[in-house]
Amino acid sequence: MKVTLDKTYPVSASANAAWEFLQDIKSVASCMPGAEITEQSDGTHFKGMIKVKIGPAVAAFKGDIEVKSIDANKRELILLGKGSDTKGSSSASMLLTASIREVANHQCELVGHSEVTVNGKMASFGGRMMDSISERILAQFADNFANNVIARGEGSVADAAAARVAEAPKELNGLAIVWHFITDFFNKLFSRESKQS
Amino acid sequence: MAKTQVSFNLNGAPVDVLVEPRELLIHVLREQLDQTGSHIGCETSHCGACTVDFNGESVKSCTLFAVQAQGAEVMTVEGLASNGELHPLQQAFMDEHGLQCGYCTPGMLMRSYRFLLENSDPSEIEIREGMSGNLCRCTGYQNIIKSIQKAATVINEAGRDEAKTA
Amino acid sequence: MAATAESLERKDKLEGIGCARKRKEDPRFIQGKGTYIDDIKLPGMVYGALVRSPHAHARIKSINKEKALALPGVITVLTADDLKPLSLHWMPTLGSDVQAVLADEKVGFQMQEVAMVIAEERYIAADGVELVEVEYEELPAIVDPHKSMDADAPIIREDLVGKDEVGHGKRLHDNHIFTWEAGDKDSTDAVFDSAEVTVKEEILNPRVHPCPLETCGCVGSFDKVKGQLTVYMTSQNPHLVRTVLAMLSGLPESKIRVVTNDIGGGFGNKVPVYPGYVVAIVASIVLGRPVKWIESRIENISTTGFARDYHGIGELAADKNGRIKALRFNVLADHGAFNSHVSATKWPAGLFSICTGSYDIPTAHVRVDAVYTNKAPGGVAYRCSLRVTEAVYLIERMIDILAQKLDIDKAEIRRRNFVQPDQFPYNTSLGWTVDSGNYEPALDKVLKAVDYEGLRKEQAEKRANGELMGIGISTFTEIVGAGPTKACDILGIGLFDSCEIRVNPTGSAIARMGTQTQGQGHETTYAQIIATELGIPSEQVQVEEGDTDKAPYGAGTWGSRSTPVGAAAVAKAARKIRDKARKIAAHLLEVSEDDLEWDIDQFKVKGVPDQARTMKEIAMAAYSNVPDGMENGLEAVDYYDPPNFTFPFGAYVCVVDIDPKTGEIKVRRFYALDDCGTRINDMIIDGQVHGGLTEAFAVAMGQLVDFDEDGNLLGNSLMDYFLPTTVETPHWETDYTVTPSPHHPLGAKGVAESPHVGGIPCFSNAVIDALSHLGVTHVDMPHTAHRIWKKLHELGASK
Repeated sequence: MKVTLDKTYPVSASANAAWEFLQDIKSVASCMPGAEITEQSDGTHFKGMIKVKIGPAVAAFKGDIEVKSIDANKRELILLGKGSDTKGSSSASMLLTASIREVANHQCELVGHSEVTVNGKMASFGGRMMDSISERILAQFADNFANNVIARGEGSVADAAAARVAEAPKELNGLAIVWHFITDFFNKLFSRESKQS
Repeated sequence: MAKTQVSFNLNGAPVDVLVEPRELLIHVLREQLDQTGSHIGCETSHCGACTVDFNGESVKSCTLFAVQAQGAEVMTVEGLASNGELHPLQQAFMDEHGLQCGYCTPGMLMRSYRFLLENSDPSEIEIREGMSGNLCRCTGYQNIIKSIQKAATVINEAGRDEAKTA
Repeated sequence: MAATAESLERKDKLEGIGCARKRKEDPRFIQGKGTYIDDIKLPGMVYGALVRSPHAHARIKSINKEKALALPGVITVLTADDLKPLSLHWMPTLGSDVQAVLADEKVGFQMQEVAMVIAEERYIAADGVELVEVEYEELPAIVDPHKSMDADAPIIREDLVGKDEVGHGKRLHDNHIFTWEAGDKDSTDAVFDSAEVTVKEEILNPRVHPCPLETCGCVGSFDKVKGQLTVYMTSQNPHLVRTVLAMLSGLPESKIRVVTNDIGGGFGNKVPVYPGYVVAIVASIVLGRPVKWIESRIENISTTGFARDYHGIGELAADKNGRIKALRFNVLADHGAFNSHVSATKWPAGLFSICTGSYDIPTAHVRVDAVYTNKAPGGVAYRCSLRVTEAVYLIERMIDILAQKLDIDKAEIRRRNFVQPDQFPYNTSLGWTVDSGNYEPALDKVLKAVDYEGLRKEQAEKRANGELMGIGISTFTEIVGAGPTKACDILGIGLFDSCEIRVNPTGSAIARMGTQTQGQGHETTYAQIIATELGIPSEQVQVEEGDTDKAPYGAGTWGSRSTPVGAAAVAKAARKIRDKARKIAAHLLEVSEDDLEWDIDQFKVKGVPDQARTMKEIAMAAYSNVPDGMENGLEAVDYYDPPNFTFPFGAYVCVVDIDPKTGEIKVRRFYALDDCGTRINDMIIDGQVHGGLTEAFAVAMGQLVDFDEDGNLLGNSLMDYFLPTTVETPHWETDYTVTPSPHHPLGAKGVAESPHVGGIPCFSNAVIDALSHLGVTHVDMPHTAHRIWKKLHELGASK
């Protein structure tokens, strides 16, 4: 099952700062709640792990990450991540093209194009919600990314960002994501209705 | 996982069981209490083969933990007949060919038992809606509806007779 | 002899053939005292649960059992490697293929069995499954059968590479299973080339699943001291299973007992031998403790025998009056990763060639190409009479399509093509001899009952108003009762069936058969036959099936064969007993056998009616006062090899109204007339018709086992798989005619699958008829509201 997402996230920091952070794969990985790099085999190959929690069930995905290309001129990074949960009941892979686009002095955008493929139980039972869940996961990731970049700066803005990084959820909580999706859906529904009335 | 004691009334008699918190009521009924009349047909709460009467309501016992039965009044199909006499529903299902393989039948009986107590003179549409939580693959439901209609008639007539003699 | 009040009273007491008597099996079911597989509890019993593949196509790189084995309560974890020393990691299928019992180095469909965890308790076994770690290397999956034979298609069955046949003729590709043909290609092609009118349509029978309310399961129990294996199993054919187990285990059949008690619905789902059974049985032998394996609903829908997945191209050639001159059907059959469904050796595409239907078609050619895909194995299941659902769907759709092309009324075109009564026995152009049929009166009766002309008028008015109303007709001929041993066998075993009857000294009887009821009421209907044949009240005839230690050998119940084959054996065995009884009666009455005549429940001396002996009296005499030279006892066995299949038929009409804004279909009326020959019990027949029609409704309107492009199952639980409830299920009207089978001892033909076979095309025909004025010739099932709405939207008709 494939999902293609094109998303742009604002980052209140300079394009250079964001690009520098983007190339630090270990730190970028930590922006994904519940994820960590466990090993670096060489310059472009990493092994990682991500824990996903759905209610009381916790799945641990083990995977390989390969940096396919880094283009400093375009400030673009292409990553291929592939993993399966340790029980083998689901697998996923993602081809991500991420780039930083300058908007102003201290404002840039994280532009992501990702192709996510999911197989196994998650595809069979989560299939219908894939789009919305993937969007949510990437939104969480982008939030953390932005906060991390800003936190590397200085001053109160940076401190505030650092605090947000510390507070961010450390695990990928599937039910929370689904709950947000449901509340989002109803919010949109009611806001549409109120617009009409 | 440490076990907990659960006590409840099953078919009019008190029972005590030791269960894990995660154990479903359907499993405890069938395996610890040897009441195998209630059946398992799915794991997503759709089929209704596990339907029991629980504190005056139809409940799918696959969607209840045994620990939730603490202090409850539970009736399964084994408790439908009283004093050796079949319940009018049981007789009606036989009279009207409301069963073929028999697997959905305990659930149908327990649900229709409560349904008729909630609505003693239902129309066909009301019966269809009231029974929509119980699936059957063999009968096409038509004779199940007839069975419930017949039982309703018998029960209502008996009620009128009783009222007359009272 | 004219029926007197007295003789009618005696007949009524028997509650024999023709009596709509209540069922004998019901008392235990309505009190929750049935014995289904999960009710079996044996001392020391343990539980098995399967680890399954999440991938449709993958190599297994490693299986780590450590964590699972470390869990307290887990006894063992079995994989293919554990079965290899016993050569049990692969098993023969009933389709002349082999199937992996536990995946050996690679998996071929999502949810394929990879390992079994055996534990002391059910919940611990489930916990154990979560702890088994399997590493896979994913491979590209084939989900579209049209791609199976591409030059660059990945090979699904590496175990078959180099094998140029899998039981049914030459293979053309590594993913090819067989090509089967019937009829005359050349003469058919010639007729098409010169025909006045031809129609062609792509018609799909989508993949669905029988989904009986009870899932499959077994308890294997091996007695080490006696060397005896007992297997309790949900099986529609316990004897065939016993033979397969003997082949697999090396134990002689005399040391294997297969027991089927009550089954919560079969519908063909409980015919195959599933890997779960085999592993549980092996585990019970190895561990010396009973092992129970019961699958979940999701496992059931995902991995046990699916039905259909026939991708057809139908063609008819006709003259401008709608008279069909030739038929050409080509089918691509998706069998999944293993050819596991029951197949008589010469009929890998089942009885598909019955697709000329109720019509006189001078020449025909059919071809079925079967391929492997990365999906669960199966194909023949779900009340299909062995691919007859697919065949009848094709012809009943095609004749409607032809009618539409020529603007001929859909009932009229059928009349013009029916096989006429004087043509029977009729040899179809695809090789069947249909022994009897009377199609037009059946159609007439049905059309009159629904006021067909009135309906067509109403439809015309509604159409003028922009409303959508459809009338569907289905006039089908079934072929059931497999089958004559000269024509078919399974793994070499003939498809006869059997009955053994023993009459007790005090006049009651016990009878056992090789068939296996799953709700069809055999305990009642077989007793009714014996009652009529032997004059013993059916209430006093005990019927048992399903214990291979007791019942004579039979091929089981599937393809509606119990009445055509099983009931024939019952009648024949009973008649052998009656022959002996006549001799005893003659002895008791001191007359010759020729002086006696049989009257309901007694032998009477001709012309001297008060000189009589009832069967009850004869029974006692059989144990106390037999003629010189005769053995005591009153019993018989019959193994019945049917001379032909039987051909039940029917005429159905369905009226639907479709909401143009939502695509929702309301079935306003469904009228079903069935001709199953001699009718044993009207109440039970009606029940079978209601059930078959409801399953037809489910297939036509909403069922689909669907996959994404990587072979992930979509909708394999009851959250999505459509099982109709009381709310959606329409009201059914039933009717009948009686055209007895000329060769059957009772004239009976079988009925349980007819409503499914005839019902599905009837629903489709109604839905498509509702759209035909918009130019629609065909839409594939399932006819969900969403799909119909999309179609209407396409046509600009969704207002």
